[in-house]
Amino acid sequence: MAESPTTTYYDIPLLKRPLWRWEIAWYFFLEGISSGTYLLGVIAELLDRERNQELVQAARYASIAAILPCPPLLIADLGRPERFAHMLRVFKPSSPMNFGAWALTAYSGPVALLAGSQMAADKSRLLPSQVRSVLKHVPERLTGVAGVPAALAMMAYPGVLLSTTSIPVWSRTRVLGALFACSSFSAAAAVLSFVLHYRDADDRLLRKLRKVELLASGAEGVALAGYLLTSGGGAKPLISGRYAKHVFIGAVVGGILLPALIGGKGKRRGLFAAALTIAGSFALKWAVVHAGRDSADDAAGSHEAALPNESATGWKSKYRVSGT
Amino acid sequence: MSNVLEVFARPEPPPAKQEMGFFTDTSLCIGCKACEVACKQWNQLPADGLEWTGHSYDNTVMLSDTTWRHVAFVEQFDSKGAGRWLMMSDVCKHCRQAPCQEACPTGSIIYNEFGNVYVQQDICNGCGYCVAACPFGVLDRNEEDGRAHKCTLCYDRQKDDMEPACAKACPTDSILFGPISEMKQHAEKRVEQLHARGETDAYIYGAERAGEYSELNSIFLLKDKPQAYNLPEAPRRPAAHMKKSYAFSFGAAIFLGAMSALLLSGDE
Repeated sequence: MAESPTTTYYDIPLLKRPLWRWEIAWYFFLEGISSGTYLLGVIAELLDRERNQELVQAARYASIAAILPCPPLLIADLGRPERFAHMLRVFKPSSPMNFGAWALTAYSGPVALLAGSQMAADKSRLLPSQVRSVLKHVPERLTGVAGVPAALAMMAYPGVLLSTTSIPVWSRTRVLGALFACSSFSAAAAVLSFVLHYRDADDRLLRKLRKVELLASGAEGVALAGYLLTSGGGAKPLISGRYAKHVFIGAVVGGILLPALIGGKGKRRGLFAAALTIAGSFALKWAVVHAGRDSADDAAGSHEAALPNESATGWKSKYRVSGT
Repeated sequence: MSNVLEVFARPEPPPAKQEMGFFTDTSLCIGCKACEVACKQWNQLPADGLEWTGHSYDNTVMLSDTTWRHVAFVEQFDSKGAGRWLMMSDVCKHCRQAPCQEACPTGSIIYNEFGNVYVQQDICNGCGYCVAACPFGVLDRNEEDGRAHKCTLCYDRQKDDMEPACAKACPTDSILFGPISEMKQHAEKRVEQLHARGETDAYIYGAERAGEYSELNSIFLLKDKPQAYNLPEAPRRPAAHMKKSYAFSFGAAIFLGAMSALLLSGDE
């Protein structure tokens, strides 16, 4: 542990508060469910379209339903909403936000086509018959696979976006991206489990899906522990701050432990377990996004997170030798 | 419609010129705030309100979307009243590899022909990423116009071969402006001079690369730890570990996808 700073400047924050609010917490939650259900749907379809029929159908509808509110949320978050298209003015992988805007653009096509194709197959009245007859010809497997890289990117980038900032609670770890990806995946599996339980799907399919839920929840737990441990003092707003209850009661107890205990034993318990997992994932993302503000407000904490280390040396050392 | 499409055009940038920057010598600052006033006047920035902080003569508190020069007043006195004043005119650091520029998703933030970090106001859509990215807390979004603002290093004045308003107004030459190579030489000399006089606490902040963080085009002579002036001692470059973060998160997503395929394919 390096020496801690002796003084701050009247305890005035070093950093500016991140501006992102509920829109972005909801966005990360919904786009995670969308990309996760998309991936599970494509996997199920490639494995066995016939036996996984219900899962594939639920995944296609869930992925489109969860992604539809996302563009309005992102646009509402901007200081100049009418300039949303400026995001696609450049292709700039050094900016995870630009990468995410392109990923969302690339993802929107396949997710809409698969949902449309499903609606055509289900003879949905929401679509005019001419449109349905066109959508019947969508090559489903090809479209599904084509959207996989974009769906993976949608799972992977949100946590990395937060990590690539100067806010201590987000940026002192390398595993926030992995945590968000795991949380998205477990929420997505829970959404599918909820729908299939509700519709009294085949028991064998429910049992398999239960295993996926447990795996993803377990991974989320491991990633969360890794995130909190590798963040050092940066994780303070989440460990002892006002968002600690979201993390420990919401995400850990409600989202991971309880569903593992009560799920897998009948319809009502299955529904309840899935709902808890979904809520836990939301609590986690809500807490992490909002904790950025508390983290930036903590003047001493921000200075402590900017003390010299091996890769960031600072500028004072050169003159300390000749100085006092 | 033409306005909407115009921003997608990518005109040829002006040819690069000599890199220009600030050297702010805090040992000469007398806390007159002429730089703050000149900056506000030239850049037509609104006042911050007449509110007293109560802790010092500092009433603008920090750099913000409407305060691009900020004079910090550090009072270091013991109970007997002995001690010193430290005053520093803070400004955007114009990092050579700027986290705000790397974060900006629209390409609004650029390095201009003078090597300064500049927010193109016709492009910025107010996403707020630069605000969270800056390790010095310089940028902020203006809630009235919805865009991010910070020091332009008087780009408009430089185009007409004039020095920035703050440097022009500084009565003690605490704020110097010129080619950054000259600023660095000058700063070295000044430190040597102060050390020779026994002021061995003087040092330069930002003149060379500090590990993962780039050198600054706006350097400072300081006389106490950076924290005393509300500067980070060793700023991190947010993008330094981005690839590793991506590797972990893509790894997690692919692992979960592959394991799910195994679990879903099993015949029990």
